[in-house]
Amino acid sequence: MRAGLLHVYTALSPLVLLAGCSIPPSDAQYTPPALPDQESFPPVAQLLVVRCGSLDCHGTPGRNLRLYGSAGLRWSPSDRPLVPLCDTQDEIAQDYESVVGLEPATMSAVVAAGGADPQQLTMVRKARGTESHKGGQIWSQGDASDTCLTSWLGGDTDAAACASAMSGVLPGGPSNPLMQCLSAADASAD
Amino acid sequence: MRPMATITLSALVMSLVQLTACDPVHDDAIAALGPEAPGVRQGPLHRPGQPCLLCHDGAIGDPQRFTVAGTVYETAGELVAAAGTTVVLTDAKGTGTQLTTNAAGNFYATPGQYDPTFPIQVVVQAPGRPAVRMQTLIAGNGTVEPNGGCASCHFDPAGSDSPGHVCLALDDGGTPP
Repeated sequence: MRAGLLHVYTALSPLVLLAGCSIPPSDAQYTPPALPDQESFPPVAQLLVVRCGSLDCHGTPGRNLRLYGSAGLRWSPSDRPLVPLCDTQDEIAQDYESVVGLEPATMSAVVAAGGADPQQLTMVRKARGTESHKGGQIWSQGDASDTCLTSWLGGDTDAAACASAMSGVLPGGPSNPLMQCLSAADASAD
Repeated sequence: MRPMATITLSALVMSLVQLTACDPVHDDAIAALGPEAPGVRQGPLHRPGQPCLLCHDGAIGDPQRFTVAGTVYETAGELVAAAGTTVVLTDAKGTGTQLTTNAAGNFYATPGQYDPTFPIQVVVQAPGRPAVRMQTLIAGNGTVEPNGGCASCHFDPAGSDSPGHVCLALDDGGTPP
């Protein structure tokens, strides 16, 4: 009789264990995070590198938002700042990961809402100077740089705003060699 | 009562001094610079090519604060000082100044001379030679030091994290990017 009970317990144990596992109800669904568009990210990445990614700021491995690009830290060990002149595909991909990986849940919420309230994101607040930022206020809400970033978050990247923002801050303005990279990115996207 | 107040004040001051001196990352960065070069006294000609603002940061007990400082060399491949080079600085508000490199290639500005609003832009020009414009911005927010100090980004060897020292020309005579 005792041996019989033991057999019953032995047979039931795996079932109990299985039942204890977290099995979602049949109507549950996994909701993938809403990510901003990667295809239209290059002009945004270029602006971020120019405005935020210099070697003394976010072009430093120790920063949470680490940016790679021509105007700062290069991804390839054989590359140099400004050589090659334009951000590489690898660098743009790394920058995308940096940006979307900072606050994934908040990023998903902002993107899912069509970019309606981008100020939920720390990087938007820091750039606008509405949250403490070692680099101080980088741009203002609604200016070309801010529009470049927030339009991308809203799913409709304003590449002209990105170009205008870069031209407005780079030494030499439109004649700065880095401006060529924006048209190169446009051409490769077409 | 008076001696007690003095002791309290002294303790407070000592605590503040200890606080300002307690940044191991900063201290390590300064220690890594090594000693003065033999035969060169502390002053305008010392430590060319080093990140000036590590020490010239205005902290208590440190030397005079600089807002912008650096060293210009002739070429990318050699450390030959580019003496007499004009360094033209323009800040975010359009306020500018011109500095001239000394015999060591060093230049610097104190807050009284130039206190820029970052980011700043810079052009260097030696007499009779083409001007070299830095194509990117100097943001002014160093990880270890407040920037302004060229060598915190422009250090040797050149690599993925540094364009190398500031120079007037590449080894082939071309203009630095």
